[in-house]
Amino acid sequence: MKPTGILFFPAFDWAISPTHPEREERLLYTRDQIFEEGIMDLPQIREYQPGLATFKDIARVHFCVPDIEAQITEAHLVSAGSALRMADAVVTGEVKNGFAIIRPPGHHSMTVVHGNRGFCNINNEAIMVEYLRHKYGLKRIAIVDTDVHHGDGTQEIFWDDPDVLFISFHQDGRTLYPGSGFMEEKGGPLAYGTTINIPLSPRTTDDGILFILDKLVMPLLEEFKPDLVVNSAGQDNHYSDPLANMCFSAQGYARLNQRLKPDIAVLEGGYSVESALPYINMGLIMAMAGIDFSNLKEPDYSPHKFKEPAGNREALQRIVDTQLRVFREREEKIALTRAKSDRPFRMEMRNIFYDTDYIHEQQRVEVRMCQTCAGFRTIVSSARHPSGREYSVGCVSIPFGACSECQTEGQEAYRTLQQGNTQLVYLQNKIADEYRVIDTRSKQETRL
Amino acid sequence: MLIGIDVGGTFTDGILFDDGRILAAVKKPTRTDNLQESLLAVLDELLSAAQGADIARVVLSTTLVTNLLATGQGERTALFMLPGYGLPHKAYSVTADIYFLQGAVDFRGRVIENIDSNQIYAALQDIKQKGIRRIAVACKFSNRNKTLEQRIRDEIVKFDPNLQVTISAEVSGKLNFPRRAATAYFTAMTITEWNRFAERINQAIQARHLDAEIHILKADGGTMPLSASLSNPCETIFSGPAASTMGAAALSRDKQNSVVVDIGGTTTDISLLISGEPLYASKGARIDKHFTHVNAFAVRSIALGGDSVIRCRDNSIRVGPMRIGAAACFGGDEPTVTDVFNVYYELGVGDAVRSQELLESVAQSSQMTLQSLCFFVVETVIDRLKRAITEMFTEWENEPAYKVWEVVHRRKFQLHRIIGIGAAAHAIVPILATEIDVPAHIHHYAPVANALGAAVVRPTLALQLHIDTASNLYTTDSGGLSGTLPDPRNFQLSDAKVLAMSCLEEVSRARGVEKYTVNASFFMEEQFNMIRGWDRVGKIFEVGIQVAPGFIDEYQGVSE
Repeated sequence: MKPTGILFFPAFDWAISPTHPEREERLLYTRDQIFEEGIMDLPQIREYQPGLATFKDIARVHFCVPDIEAQITEAHLVSAGSALRMADAVVTGEVKNGFAIIRPPGHHSMTVVHGNRGFCNINNEAIMVEYLRHKYGLKRIAIVDTDVHHGDGTQEIFWDDPDVLFISFHQDGRTLYPGSGFMEEKGGPLAYGTTINIPLSPRTTDDGILFILDKLVMPLLEEFKPDLVVNSAGQDNHYSDPLANMCFSAQGYARLNQRLKPDIAVLEGGYSVESALPYINMGLIMAMAGIDFSNLKEPDYSPHKFKEPAGNREALQRIVDTQLRVFREREEKIALTRAKSDRPFRMEMRNIFYDTDYIHEQQRVEVRMCQTCAGFRTIVSSARHPSGREYSVGCVSIPFGACSECQTEGQEAYRTLQQGNTQLVYLQNKIADEYRVIDTRSKQETRL
Repeated sequence: MLIGIDVGGTFTDGILFDDGRILAAVKKPTRTDNLQESLLAVLDELLSAAQGADIARVVLSTTLVTNLLATGQGERTALFMLPGYGLPHKAYSVTADIYFLQGAVDFRGRVIENIDSNQIYAALQDIKQKGIRRIAVACKFSNRNKTLEQRIRDEIVKFDPNLQVTISAEVSGKLNFPRRAATAYFTAMTITEWNRFAERINQAIQARHLDAEIHILKADGGTMPLSASLSNPCETIFSGPAASTMGAAALSRDKQNSVVVDIGGTTTDISLLISGEPLYASKGARIDKHFTHVNAFAVRSIALGGDSVIRCRDNSIRVGPMRIGAAACFGGDEPTVTDVFNVYYELGVGDAVRSQELLESVAQSSQMTLQSLCFFVVETVIDRLKRAITEMFTEWENEPAYKVWEVVHRRKFQLHRIIGIGAAAHAIVPILATEIDVPAHIHHYAPVANALGAAVVRPTLALQLHIDTASNLYTTDSGGLSGTLPDPRNFQLSDAKVLAMSCLEEVSRARGVEKYTVNASFFMEEQFNMIRGWDRVGKIFEVGIQVAPGFIDEYQGVSE
């Protein structure tokens, strides 16, 4: 039996600010607990050392404004790089599955990065997914976001990608940051139904989340048949989390992972650093390694501690019914959209708020309504940075599945955008694995 | 003058050292049934060579505890475990005589579940019935709060004062409960025998009217006074490889990256000196497949030595793993690895003609030429050594890191040379070094480097201080110190370092090595703000301070 890979990178020398939830102390007690348990000595476990992501790995996903150096610290390179190391070990078969217990987190980071949103600068899972598709030719990937906050960054990155099934369950966006993740968000016009949101009412318990898992998440995965399942493993559904209001326990987290059987789990949020994280991380490790976790619990937990809110089961059943239908009719809907499409592009305007850095970004997004592939997309984005500087950038992304027409038109769009009034124009060509940025004034182009 | 004696599995080596020179070297076969005899026989020869001169210190490296544990001769011992919540009980398998008891402490040192006297009483009844007289007690996070372990010890003594109890917090204060439990268990199992041995050695020394400090070599390459060893028998295990590695460091004395290849009769031990410092095993010494908290060097042992016999079986050449006797060139009955190197490289060691004769007969029975037989053996030996060395590098490079700084500044191991020690080093190591393309360093004291290492190393002591200002508590991982702070609110890292130093001094005094704390250095300085809500409620400090492995001031290198 192959072992489970663990990559523990607590970044004991990195914090957003001294009293911020995302601070050095965050994984301190988790370190105490997993080291005291002797987890790394077990034959079922293999410990991996952190790695460094390259700028190219980041450029495969993000348009960093004005450049990558400005948006990241070395800690981000290690955190993302560690997810890549874990992914390598899983995909090459050294381990049966892997858990990257890393920080800083990433799931609120979107394609264009002007600053930090929801404690995240770059999206670790998205960087990992695109790395795996580039390096190993994986195609279909499912990301199950189990963080209490909606994984809006990951959703946005794969919004127009029908080969990535993004499922997020989270506390209802009307009651919690980032205020999105409603059932109506189902993916872009040519990737309809591969974004599945499951907003849960506050105080949902283990029972409720496991119900959603069994009745909705598992059937979706079975039908989607992904090459790889990623758990974007937040730990803030816990009853003691200071930033959210759910009633999930360490046992619940362990059971969830035992049933979900993710190939790779990547730590996201979770800020009950003392009462929850040590126990949840133990639970996840044990569940993934197939170790009996019946003796695991928080010191103050009893199975009767929480009761599912009244009427919640019925509400969850309605979500299950709706979302199964949305998913199952997705191909039909997409075909209809294509057939009825009378314009070459579908355009959308949107505003994005960066809570950590207090940035307001405006975007105009266009996706090509391609008849053969999911289309390339362009984003024109502008925002005033905390420095006071105003940035306006144009970005073109040619996805892995792009048809030859979209590839040609995407290249053309890169040139056309340079005629406009943005300072920087980016080309992200995933097929050629080539990433360019040009300064429209100096005409200086850099390539990765 | 200094004396170092290394009681090895096959031979006992001893040296008398003074003023940069080895004045006498003694080698005698080890009597595994009577280590004390072997040791004293070597000591007496060295003393007579000293001709009544003043002996300042005698350091002994012995395999007594290693043997007791390896041969399963330790007395039956029970283990009382308080695992609290976490891994299932079946994860703990160090012995069949485990009793799982109620009671739990968390990572902050808070008691989260109390012990149950009735349950302890029932376990003790059972133990009595089985005739078990030794008990180790281990509680998860007892390194942060040992009161539950102490209370269980009180209950045991109340039940029967003749039961011998070891509690894990007093054996090690490092994180890792299974290792701490195993270390406590093996300590409980061997402590009586070790104390008996130590007492006999002490008597023998007194009978010889020696006014010397008597030290025992530890697995971490440092010494401890015989008296301090009484409560820590497990620290004496694997001191043989430590003696060799420190011997190599003593003979090279610089900041280079070296592989130390100690080629004995039956086995070869490989260890690393990184910038001159020996590399430790990250998971602690392993006893009977169980990791422990005994700090030991990272040593890779392969069953291949200078005396490994060369035989032909089923038409193929076998290199070892057995040792039948000495190499043919030294009068042995069968050809060995040393003989092959002797012939192939025309080294002229001992009776080279005899090497050739016996190898010829093996070559004939395997229908090979002498040349191709030797070539095959040399290739095999060099290949196995090279592979072991490469594996060690990879392991070192793949050690996990927990800070951004460590990952960004990760070093790649660049080898500067190979240091050969042990009796057969001069035949094999130069060839190995040529193959790896680095210089070989083989001192003419290489055959007794182990005893030299024992003679000249200084005491070591490492201490990690954990301070939690919110609960106003500090604990140390060795020496078992704990206490409260005078002014927890204003406590800073600089105060933590002062406290760590004073803890080190206190533990050193208890161990009788206080004069070495001048050599202490900090190896870890971490501080964490504890934030609850948006306010700082305290700080956690982890400070590590140690007297690292090194040499006593009297040792200033060898004179040639």
